[in-house]
Amino acid sequence: MKSVRKTITAAATVLVTGLMATGCTSPVAAGGQGGTGSTKSLVVYSNSVSDGRGDWLKKEAGKAGFKLQFVDLGGGDIRNRLLAEQANPIADVTFGLNNVYFENLKKEDVLAPYTPSWAGKVDASAGDPTGKEYWPIVREPVMLVYDKAAYSSPAQAPSDWPDLWTEKQFAKRYEVPADLGGATAQMVLAGILSRYRDDKGDLGVSKAGWDAVKAYFHDGVPAVADTDLYARMASRKVDAGQMWLAGKATREQQYKVTTEAVHPKIGVPMTVQQVGLVKGTKKAADAKKFIDWFGSATVQAAWSKQFHTMPTNKDALAQADPAAVSDTNSFTEQDIDWSFVAEHLDQWIEKVELDYLGS
Amino acid sequence: MNRSARRMLRSPLVLVAGALLLWFVFAFLVFPNLVMLREIFLPDGSFSTRAFTELWSSDRARESLRNSFLLAAALSVTVNAVGVFIVLATRYFALRGARLLWLGYATTLVYGGVVAVSGYTFVYGEHGLLTRLLVDAFPGTDPAWFSGMPAVVMVMTLTGTSYHLLFLTSALGRVDHQTIEAAQQLGASPWRILRRVVLPVLKPTLFAVTVLTFLGGLTAFAAPQVIGGRDFQTITPMILTFAGIPSSRDLAATLAVLLGAATLVLLSVLNRMQAGGTYFSVSKVPSALRRQRITNPVAGAVVHVLAYALFAAYLVPPLLIVVFSFTGASTIASGRITTSSFTLANYRQVLTDATASWPLLVSIAYATVTATVVIALMLFVARVLHKYPSPVTAAVEHLLHIPWMLPSTLTALGLIITYSEPRTVVGGTVLTGTLVLLAIAYVSAKIPITLRMLKAAYAGVPDSLEEAATLLGAGAWHTFRRVLLPLVLPTAAAVSALNFNSLLDDYDISVFLAHPLYQPLGITIQNATRNEGTSDSTALTLVYAVLLMAVSGLVMWFVYGRRADTGHRRRRPRPRPGHEHTAPTAADTDTGASARPTRTV
Repeated sequence: MKSVRKTITAAATVLVTGLMATGCTSPVAAGGQGGTGSTKSLVVYSNSVSDGRGDWLKKEAGKAGFKLQFVDLGGGDIRNRLLAEQANPIADVTFGLNNVYFENLKKEDVLAPYTPSWAGKVDASAGDPTGKEYWPIVREPVMLVYDKAAYSSPAQAPSDWPDLWTEKQFAKRYEVPADLGGATAQMVLAGILSRYRDDKGDLGVSKAGWDAVKAYFHDGVPAVADTDLYARMASRKVDAGQMWLAGKATREQQYKVTTEAVHPKIGVPMTVQQVGLVKGTKKAADAKKFIDWFGSATVQAAWSKQFHTMPTNKDALAQADPAAVSDTNSFTEQDIDWSFVAEHLDQWIEKVELDYLGS
Repeated sequence: MNRSARRMLRSPLVLVAGALLLWFVFAFLVFPNLVMLREIFLPDGSFSTRAFTELWSSDRARESLRNSFLLAAALSVTVNAVGVFIVLATRYFALRGARLLWLGYATTLVYGGVVAVSGYTFVYGEHGLLTRLLVDAFPGTDPAWFSGMPAVVMVMTLTGTSYHLLFLTSALGRVDHQTIEAAQQLGASPWRILRRVVLPVLKPTLFAVTVLTFLGGLTAFAAPQVIGGRDFQTITPMILTFAGIPSSRDLAATLAVLLGAATLVLLSVLNRMQAGGTYFSVSKVPSALRRQRITNPVAGAVVHVLAYALFAAYLVPPLLIVVFSFTGASTIASGRITTSSFTLANYRQVLTDATASWPLLVSIAYATVTATVVIALMLFVARVLHKYPSPVTAAVEHLLHIPWMLPSTLTALGLIITYSEPRTVVGGTVLTGTLVLLAIAYVSAKIPITLRMLKAAYAGVPDSLEEAATLLGAGAWHTFRRVLLPLVLPTAAAVSALNFNSLLDDYDISVFLAHPLYQPLGITIQNATRNEGTSDSTALTLVYAVLLMAVSGLVMWFVYGRRADTGHRRRRPRPRPGHEHTAPTAADTDTGASARPTRTV
């Protein structure tokens, strides 16, 4: 018994150290297609490759002669890793983060300027406002959704975020984030605070704005780790909360809850995912080719069909997922100065974490 | 320089190894963290007290800190009480079904974190089994009864006894049965024997696990987040959020250093209490502990009932995790299982994912290598620290606790920032993008706990054994290998297994340091369950938890194998051919009890 265990342990150790020492190629690395000499191997950092999106992209890119390696992390982690590795970048391309994160990366000099071949097909103002360092690929509205069963008619439901904390009937019936690590929560905060911009105010926001945020968190029910908003709607704990477009449909199915998204007059924050070239990459030429391929109409349309998103590439719209396009277009885009948000967001989050959460 | 330091400098082995150790401490514990802290606190060359004023003026920060300390203090009591009880119930008293009990209590060794908490919410939460029974029996019961500090303390107590189960058990093996017999013949009551004979031997280990428990309470994350409710939030979630925002890292570092300092204060208090005591029982012919019958029938019944009630409390949550891992998200949320709720889809999704097996291999490789390196390193270091107490060694010991002083997110960032450019201290190479950097970070992270447990183990070894070996002409190395090592090996094995299991699904360190081609399992799990995609992934979390339980369980079996038996079949030390004296051998470390020389000099 003992000797068996010893043998197995020894064998395992030898195997493992051998594996580590030789640094043998992983099956993942060998997974690409077209093992010809023309294969372009790239490291891509992204927060938008979970849920099967990365596997699909790997396969499609393989056909086009790219061998992709993803580092798949949350938005904040991607930003922090890119910042930390600045002196010696591992990533060649990064995509999926929103404009705020990309604006940060640009300011910290992490990105290299590049104008993709499809630059003329997208609304440049949705990307880098003052240069050529990041370009929009996908638009997604950040919404306030409510459980239809909770209100007798749509008129009874909230019609905009401020209703939640200004009208008594919604108090303690909507979910607020328990922390501000997630991009959706940050977008909602940016959408609220942008309404109260005051350059003489605290962190660029008037006192009324901070009071509104305080009330928003005070009257809400904090999210519970590991319990989805839709699960709490299903059990009647809350009636409303934040959700992004692609998440709504699948959750309605999973939890058998019918929800409606609010269409405020002022509009909703549009998250625009961007793509950019990492400064200092040793494979700049291949990375540029990949960006050209990835943002092209064909690939963006296929991506849209597969994952219910709305592409920014005008030529892709015709073949894109019609439901995703019409859903996205049903929302007015809130006029948000993203440079202003990018400049202050980190400080806003800190202030909310310290002063308003759990109050 | 005192005598002990001079003696230390006479041994060439200690000198060379010591120099290497000092280099490691400087290069990977001190220097990167200094670089990082400078970047955080002195971005423009001037120190500001902003962090302190911001934190002090925040009600939430003060409240969360207070809760963290309250929790740490409460757990130091409750975990010790329950932990000592389960160890005595399985190893000291003769209870019926002790082995089964041990298996139930050992479930904490193979799962933890958020998943463990969800296991408990399946029982006590709003839709939990027990809650539904309560509501049916007493219709007035609030279904949300299980929240706030009592709930957090209960869950963290039951999930926090792993250290006790492993380390106290091996310490109990060092109790000399003859001293117990002598005490019995002198008419001491069982209670008195426990207090005056058994407990003193357990003391160093008890102190060490108390420090770990206290630290675990201070840095509690999952349980308060899920069941703490609005009124009982702790500081760690805040630290993690701030660590992720470049401009707020000074807050994260300040809070973390505060927690680390508190832990070090407790450590030095306990060290002082421990100093000068004798923690082993000395008799001419030490003999292994035999389990005690409880003669008083009432006491026996009470202990049995308690032991089995705890057994159920331990066993049901992990069982429910396994059950619910075969259902979908809405079933998990509602807690109502029907025959139609069961599905294999989650497992299919995880297991058919071509890329799922590779991260597991990578994790196993990293965890194996780093756990081995840590234990080898610390076996030596703890021995030196124990044998040559001097201001120098005390300073090194404090430096080795740096990983407890800072959140791993920040230390990982420190490593990248420091070693993404060529540095003289590592021979002018760049370490980012290599496989080594993550291994170094893993090793560093596990140094403090390993050191604490091994120091406690060495403290429980009588000096006379070493003296005897020296008198018989054994060299320092031989003495270590044949006399000391076998005695601390059970602890070493236990701590290695724990290290291995906790590294298997690490995320905080891997997220920044993993090589793109060699990403460990923690990242895969986090991505599958991050909820940034379209579908809700609650069920996948449970599937990964079950898979991890299986791997961890396997590791525990490797380490403990049949050692989990509760002393029914004690192997006798086998004299080895070619050796006249029956020195203990590694193979005989049944519970540490049989690993003692049967002949004294």
